[in-house]
Amino acid sequence: MTEVHHIQVPLGYLPLLVLIPAAVAAVAVPWLRSRFRKQVVPGSVPDWSIPPLDDGRGGLGTSLIHRWDVRCKIMTMLAYSFAVASLRHLSAAAAAVLISLAVLLAAKVSFHKVVLRVLALAGFLGMLLIVMPLTVPANPGDTLLVFGSLDWLTVNVRGIVLAATIGAKAMAVALLMEPLLATAPLPVTLHGLSRLGIPEMAGQMVLLSYRYLHVFSHEARRMTVGMKARGFEKKTSLDTLRALGNFLGMIFVRSFERTERVFDAMQARGYKGRFPEPGQLQIRMPDILLTGVWIAVGTALVWFDWMKG
Amino acid sequence: MGDMPLFCVQGLAYAYPDGIPALSSVDLEIFSGDRTALVGPNGSGKTTLIKLLSGLLAPKQGHILYKGRPLTENHLEESRLTMGVLFQDPDDQLFGHTVMDDAAFGPRNQGKSREAAVRCARQALHQVNLAHLAYKEPHNLSYGQKKRAALAGILAMQPEVLILDEPTANLDPGQEAVFLDLLKAFDGTLICISHDLIFLYELCEKAVVLHHGSIHHNYTMRELVSRRSALRDHGLDFSFRMAIPASDVPDANGARVHEENGPGPGYTPSCDCAKVRESHSVHPPLACMENYEYVYPDGTPGLQDFSLDIHEGEKTAIVGENGAGKSTLLACLCGLRQGGEDLFFKGTRVTKKQHKALWRRVGLVFQDCADQLFCASVKEEMMFGLRRLGLSSDQCRHRAADALARVGLSGFENRVPLHLSGGERKRLALGCVLAMDPDLLILDEPTAGLDPRGEEQLMAILDTFDKTLLLVSHDLFFIEKLTHRTLVMHQGRIIRDLPTPDFMQDDKLCRFNGRSFSYRRHTATAIRQLQHEHEHPICRKWQRCHFRQMGLERCPGQARSLCNRVLGDALP
Repeated sequence: MTEVHHIQVPLGYLPLLVLIPAAVAAVAVPWLRSRFRKQVVPGSVPDWSIPPLDDGRGGLGTSLIHRWDVRCKIMTMLAYSFAVASLRHLSAAAAAVLISLAVLLAAKVSFHKVVLRVLALAGFLGMLLIVMPLTVPANPGDTLLVFGSLDWLTVNVRGIVLAATIGAKAMAVALLMEPLLATAPLPVTLHGLSRLGIPEMAGQMVLLSYRYLHVFSHEARRMTVGMKARGFEKKTSLDTLRALGNFLGMIFVRSFERTERVFDAMQARGYKGRFPEPGQLQIRMPDILLTGVWIAVGTALVWFDWMKG
Repeated sequence: MGDMPLFCVQGLAYAYPDGIPALSSVDLEIFSGDRTALVGPNGSGKTTLIKLLSGLLAPKQGHILYKGRPLTENHLEESRLTMGVLFQDPDDQLFGHTVMDDAAFGPRNQGKSREAAVRCARQALHQVNLAHLAYKEPHNLSYGQKKRAALAGILAMQPEVLILDEPTANLDPGQEAVFLDLLKAFDGTLICISHDLIFLYELCEKAVVLHHGSIHHNYTMRELVSRRSALRDHGLDFSFRMAIPASDVPDANGARVHEENGPGPGYTPSCDCAKVRESHSVHPPLACMENYEYVYPDGTPGLQDFSLDIHEGEKTAIVGENGAGKSTLLACLCGLRQGGEDLFFKGTRVTKKQHKALWRRVGLVFQDCADQLFCASVKEEMMFGLRRLGLSSDQCRHRAADALARVGLSGFENRVPLHLSGGERKRLALGCVLAMDPDLLILDEPTAGLDPRGEEQLMAILDTFDKTLLLVSHDLFFIEKLTHRTLVMHQGRIIRDLPTPDFMQDDKLCRFNGRSFSYRRHTATAIRQLQHEHEHPICRKWQRCHFRQMGLERCPGQARSLCNRVLGDALP
């Protein structure tokens, strides 16, 4: 195994193996993204009078993952993600993806949101799949595909496997984000983080940022419309830069003024530096059992990967 | 405690950090159970005063006592939990993750358990008809829902004092009626800032008039509204709104009558209808939509099978409930949104490419004009659109100067738009659009947030506008004064297309505009009577007696004409 193996592939396979998949991905990903964003399921208006993640009262959150204590969930998934990131073999990484899919099914989270999350990763992973096979240096024992007489264009099979392994690991972790973040209300997750030692102020800032990012982006959209209504078009010119400078400055000033008003409103309702706790967190035996099972699965995965050499 | 005021303000002065004085020598007493209106033109210091009353700002001079003690340290913290402050922009107030989290925030800070706080929050949400949206995220609510959710957050604290800053600004008549009912039912102390004196007349008994940071008058509400001269002096004279169409003046039997000499004093046709009708037959419509469809990116239909003709010179109003599709229609007409292809401008189909150039022909003034003002000076703001029209510098300067003069802002060239008052900003936004000389001017809720003087100035500017106008408004007075055709929209369609006078007499009018219009009409009538009695004291006694004999307590339209006829020479 000291030589580099070359396999001659007819030049006609080049578009089939590289160009066509890349083109299909470039068209399919944006199409899927817009389709999933647009899709409205008739009659699917949620009942907002009950907490959507409430367990046992008709809400969506009736799964084991929803009932899992948020601190155990965060710690376990974090540890498991590190374990997945340490895998070196494609088969182990593929097994991790299967486990994540099983968790998705068990958590009964929104399929739309999962697809959108995966599509957000697709561009990055697609680039890896294209670039790595072409750029991974040829080591002894590697197999290179050579297209016709194009000696300078070689695809390293180890690069494909490496890219696929990285992609599978990234996907396995990304798929767990929905069960981690969408199975408890954000304030509860942040409360869990603060109980795990993250400064409480950081959690409050995340919570307010989540709320006000929507407000600021809405303001920015309205201002953009205001500019377009008077003929603004982005061009490569000083005029465009000046207009964008004014726009950003105005967004900043308005945001700054809003933060002062929000703080006033909070103080007026008795805020003294702490948000009320969203609820009591309590670790029970099922939480510990689930944590144990999950860690065992993670350990088995790492052992399986280690056994492969 | 009996005679002790709840709030006692003495020698209060406050200046902003940059040294600009906001309030000076303010003395005021507000007793428990009082319902006090704080009125005054924009920039008179009303909001600063309520921030001081609620302890959000500390006085620079003088003192404020709440329940006999200064608002400092522990007493301040305790007092905040007994006051509810409703700010003008509901987004400032809804910082919770869900509506329920937000409504429960105050009760939790009052020391209530989670369960008790949720109970209070749920009850408050029931009061504002939002219980069905308790667990929705605030950024997914409509503006009216946000405003009600903000009020729920206050009511959940069961406050002794309610302090409200423009509670009904930008609300449609239906939502305004909900607010009015809730606030009337509140049995604590109420302090309310608003430019809407008709709303305040219904709600408050006392009125404090602020001008340039000091209190000019401390009246009863009846006294305030009856003194037109005082209202005029402080830019609060809203009497121009109270000219009610002849059709609404009841006769002696309470039935509506039509005066023989044409429309009543409130009706001023702003357009030569005969000329417009003549031009309809000769020219194609200025803008025309045929079976136009628009679907939002999430799949929700915006406009469905929508057909509309707007002819040159025509002045058209669009009314409809929130969510009827009015703003979507405006965005499509301006080329900001693109639906089906059946949009014509001056008889020519607007292609996809031409959509982007519609801004040259259509001018739009937003409801919140802060969204279209983003430059560092008024001059730059005016030049922004003009430069994009490809005009020479000289032409730009001339047009900008003309437009500024037209909207009464000459001399403001170097001012910062963000620092202008609400009325000035609205006029600046209008000026920016008028300078571009659009074929079609679209106004989206032009009176939102304006004080009466600002409204009157806006009305004067629009009265001189002689091109095609499309007005989207809930303000029936403006609709009646400025337009001669009214379209009623519902669920993305036009369901009625009427001449404005017919629309104003339509028996189903209240269905589209809510009960608010009825109470406004009723209240305006009562205020006119008060003003008339104040201005004509000689005939007051006779008039009351005369109408009581007829079984009518209030009938100012008739009262005025009878006074003029019977006692005209004797009137002062």
